Amino acid sequence: MDDELLELQRQFEFAQQAKSSVRLSERNVVELVQKLHELQIIDFDLLHTVSGKEYITPDQLRHEMLSEVQKLGRVSLIDLADTTGVDLYHVEKQAQVMVAGNPGLMFIQGEIISQNYWDSVAEEINERLQECSQIALAELAAQLHVGSELLTSVLEPRLGSTVKGRLEGGQLYTPAYVARVSAMVRGAARGISVPTNLSALWSSLQQLLQEMDGATGVSVEASFFQSLFNELLKGGEILGSLRAGVYWTPSVFATAQKECVDSFFSQNSFVIYEMLSRLGISQPVQYLQSRYPDGLPLANAFVHPSLTEMVDTAIEDVIERSSWIDSLSVLPASFGAQDASKILSHCPSVQSALKSNKALILGESFVFSNAFIKDVYDRLEKEMAVANLLGSASVNLSDDRYSAKDAKGARDSGFSSELNETSSESMPIKHAVDKGGRKKKGKSAGNAKSGATESGPDDQDFVPTKSKKNQKKSKDVSSVHASEVKSSTKKDVKSQEENQGILSEEWIVQMITTLFPDFEEQGVDDSSSIIRSLANHLRPMLINSWKEKRKAVFTENAERMKRLLDNLQKKVDEASLNIQLYEKALDLFEDDPSTSVVLHRHLLRTTAASIVDMLFVDLDAYNKLKNGAETEKPENPQFGSFSSAERTALAKTFPGSLSKKALAVIDALEGKRVETFMTALIDFAEESGLVVKKLDKKLERALLHSYRKDLTSQVSTEEDPISLLPKVVSLLYIQVHSKALQAPGRAISIAITRLKDKLQDSAYKILTDYQAATVTLLSLISASTGDEEDCTSERISSKRELLESLMPPLKSVVLSKPQS
Amino acid sequence: MEGWDPSTKSTLTQIPLLATKAGPRDGGAWTQRLKEEYKALIAYTQMNKSNDNDWFRISAANPEGTRWTGKCWYVHNLLKYEFDLQFDIPVTYPATAPEIELPQLDGKTQKMYRGGKICLTVHFKPLWAKNCPRFGIAHALCLGLAPWLAAEVPILVDSGMIKHKDDAPSSNES
Repeated sequence: MDDELLELQRQFEFAQQAKSSVRLSERNVVELVQKLHELQIIDFDLLHTVSGKEYITPDQLRHEMLSEVQKLGRVSLIDLADTTGVDLYHVEKQAQVMVAGNPGLMFIQGEIISQNYWDSVAEEINERLQECSQIALAELAAQLHVGSELLTSVLEPRLGSTVKGRLEGGQLYTPAYVARVSAMVRGAARGISVPTNLSALWSSLQQLLQEMDGATGVSVEASFFQSLFNELLKGGEILGSLRAGVYWTPSVFATAQKECVDSFFSQNSFVIYEMLSRLGISQPVQYLQSRYPDGLPLANAFVHPSLTEMVDTAIEDVIERSSWIDSLSVLPASFGAQDASKILSHCPSVQSALKSNKALILGESFVFSNAFIKDVYDRLEKEMAVANLLGSASVNLSDDRYSAKDAKGARDSGFSSELNETSSESMPIKHAVDKGGRKKKGKSAGNAKSGATESGPDDQDFVPTKSKKNQKKSKDVSSVHASEVKSSTKKDVKSQEENQGILSEEWIVQMITTLFPDFEEQGVDDSSSIIRSLANHLRPMLINSWKEKRKAVFTENAERMKRLLDNLQKKVDEASLNIQLYEKALDLFEDDPSTSVVLHRHLLRTTAASIVDMLFVDLDAYNKLKNGAETEKPENPQFGSFSSAERTALAKTFPGSLSKKALAVIDALEGKRVETFMTALIDFAEESGLVVKKLDKKLERALLHSYRKDLTSQVSTEEDPISLLPKVVSLLYIQVHSKALQAPGRAISIAITRLKDKLQDSAYKILTDYQAATVTLLSLISASTGDEEDCTSERISSKRELLESLMPPLKSVVLSKPQS
Repeated sequence: MEGWDPSTKSTLTQIPLLATKAGPRDGGAWTQRLKEEYKALIAYTQMNKSNDNDWFRISAANPEGTRWTGKCWYVHNLLKYEFDLQFDIPVTYPATAPEIELPQLDGKTQKMYRGGKICLTVHFKPLWAKNCPRFGIAHALCLGLAPWLAAEVPILVDSGMIKHKDDAPSSNES
C-alpha cells in the first residue's frame, strides 16, 4: 500500500472523527439576545445593523463614527450609515449626541465636519490665495460643496491668521492686491476733475484690471471699488462730495464751479442759468438762491438787486422824460423778454408808475411812459383826422365791424391782423349762401384781402365761429342801415375798405413808424412787434375817439343837412318858379322857331344852369355830411358856374340812380327845350328828396309883381345904356303880356318888333331908336381893336352920348307906362 | 446544474475536482485516483464539519478501495435518523457513477432499486457524464445521497415506515 494513500486514509479518518463545530442559527441567537434583554442581563440599548445580522452598542457606533470623522475630517451621515452599517436614524441620533458633546465638531447639512478639516481647508485656501491674489468665495464654496455663508463664517476667524488676506464682497483678496486696487482707485479718483458717475469709473477700472491680469483676471466687483473709495474718502485721501452714493463731485470741481459763478456774478451782477448748467449745476435756481439769498431768480437768469436798480433808474428816467424804453436794451444781451418782464415787476419805480398810471408795459420788456403814449395817441389822432378827411365816405359799416372785432381783440390782439385777413377771407364762403344783397359786399370784402398771403389751415378751425359772428354782426349792420339809402350800398362797401385801411393795425403801425422813427433807430430788432403791440394798445382808444368824433360830426351834420336841405328846397323852389315863369314867356315866341330856339337856349344856359349847379353842389355837400365827413361849410353859395364836364364829374360822384338822373339833367341842359329840362330836373329833385313846385296863378301873379317891381327899380337906377335895353324890354313885356321874358341880346330886336302893335308909336319909336343905337355902339365896341384910333373911339363916345341922351325918354316910356 | 437547491450547488463547487481518469483495474493510475478521491473527501468532510453539517462516515472496506461502507444520518424534527451506507466502485469507474445503497431502507420506499440502491434524479447522470473524470466519490455523495436523504427521510418518517431508534424498542415492546 502506498504510504501516501495510507496517510490520506488516516487523515480522512481523522477528519471524520474531528468534532464538528457547533453552530447556532440566527434565529436562536436573536432569541437568545431577546432572552438576555428580558432577563435584564443586557441593560443598554442594542442597535442592529442594516443587514440584521449584527448587534452594535451605541457607544461602539459613536466610537466608529468618531474614528471615521477623525480619519476624514468631514463625513456625511449617509456615508457614515453606510460604513457602519447602521440605520441612518440611529446614526443621526448618535451624531447629534456626538457633536453636542464635542466642540471640535460641527454638524452641517447632514455632514459632520471637524475643526481640523476647516483648518486644513483654510490653509489650502490661503495657498491658493497667495497664488492668485484673489479668489471668489462663491467659487470656493462651490468647490467645497458648502454654503458661502458657512464658508464666510468659518473663514472670518481665520482671516489674518491662517488666511492672509481680506474678505470683501464675497471675494478674498491679498493685502497686496487690495493695496494695488486701492492705489488705482485713489489715482482715478484724484484724476477726476469733473463730476462723474462712479459706476462708470468702476467699470473702466474693471476693464483696466482685466487687461492687466490678462485672461485669468477675475472681475472685481464695483462694490469693492466703492468700499475702497469710501475708505479713501473717509481717510481724507481724496476730497469731494458723494451724492446718491455714486455721483462724485470732486472738491476741485466744486471749488472751481463756485469761484466761476462767484466771479461772474460779482462782476456782472447776474448769472444765466444756462451757464450754470454748463458748469454742471443741475438746479441753478436753488443753488443760486441758497448762495445769494438777496438775488432775484428770473426765467433765464439770476440777478443781483443792483441790476434791478439799474433798470429801475433807467425807467424812472424814461418816465420823467416821458419817453419809452426797451428794458432789454438796458439788460445784458442774454436776457429774454420773460426775464425783462420779471425784472420790471420787481422795479419799484415801475410798480409805482403802473399804480399811478404813469407808465405802461407792453410786449413784456417795453416800458412806455403814459405821456409818451399820449403823445403818440394825439399824433395818431391828428393823422387819423387827416386820413378821415381824405377818405371820408359812409363809414358806419366798417366801424361797427371794428368795434365788434375789438371786443374780441382784447383777447387775441396779437394776431388780430391775421384774423382780419382770415375773417375777410372766410366771409365769401359764408356769404355765398347769404342773401343776394350781401353777396356784393362779401365779394368786395374778399377782394380786400389782397395782402392776405397766408391763411394757414390752422386758422380754419376758428373760422366757422368767427364768420358766424361776423354774419350776425353784418346782419345787425344791415338792419341798422336798412333805413339808409339803399342805392348807396356799393359806396358803403368801398368806404368800408378804406376805413379798414385807416384803423387797421398795419395802418397804426405804419403811422407810428413814420411818426416816431426813433423806434427803428434804437436798433430794436423786433421793433415791428413792439410797435404792433403799442398799436394794439392804442387802437381801441383811437377807435373810440374816432367813433365819438364821428358821432359828434354826425349830430352836427344832421342839423346842417337839415338846414342845407331846407335851404336847397327854398332855393329850388325859387329858381324853379322863376324858370317856369320865364318859360311861360317863351310861349309868346312859339310862332317864330328861330327866335324860340335862341330864347330856349338862353334860358337853359343862364337860369337852368345855375339851378343845376346849385343843386349839384348842395347835394354833394349833403352826401358828404351824411357820411359824417367833416366838410367845411359851404360858405360861398355863389360859386361860379361849372362847365358841363365838371358837372358830369360831380354827377358821377352821386350814389347810384341819383347819378343817372343827374346825368340826364345835364343832358337836358345841353338840349334846346326847356320843357325836357324841367321834366329831368323834376325827376332828379324827386330822386334826391326835393320837391319842385308847380307854378299856379296866384303864385305867378305874386312873382310877376315882385319881378316887375324889381325890374322897375333896376331900370330907374340903371346908368349903363347897354344893359338898360334888355331890362326895359323885359319890363315892357311884363307890362304888356304879363310874362317875364329873359331874352339874349340877339333876340331883343325880335322882341321889340313883337311889341310894336302893343305900344304907342312914339314909345315904339324911342325903343327902336335906342335899340339901333345900342346895336351900333356894340358893333363899334366889338370892332374896335383897342388901337388908339381916334375915329372909332370918338364915334363910340358920341354914340354913347347919344344913347345916354336917349335913356331918359326910354326910361320914361317904361316907367310912365303904368301911370298912363 | 439546475435541479439542485442552491446550498447543494455551492457546496459542490467547493469540493476539489479530480484529474486522473482511472478505474479499479488500472493499477498505479487507480492508486493515484484513490489519493485524489481521499483528498476530495477530506475537503468535503472538513467543509461539512465547519458548517455544522456533518452527515456521514465512510471508510474503504478493502485495501484496493473498491468497496466502501459507512453510515449516514439525517435530522428531522430534532431527531437523528441513522442508516447504513455501502457501495462498490464499478469497473467502468469513473465513467459510471457508483451505486449507493441503503440496505436498511430496502423495500420501504419507491425511490429505490432492489438491494437498497437509491434512485437518483434525472439530472444526475448527464451531469456526472459531463464531468467525468473530475467528479469523484465526494461529488456522488453530495449530489446523490444528500438530496435523496433530505427528500425521502421526512416522507418515510411521516408515513411511519421508519422509526427513531429511541422509539423502536418501545414500539417493539409494544
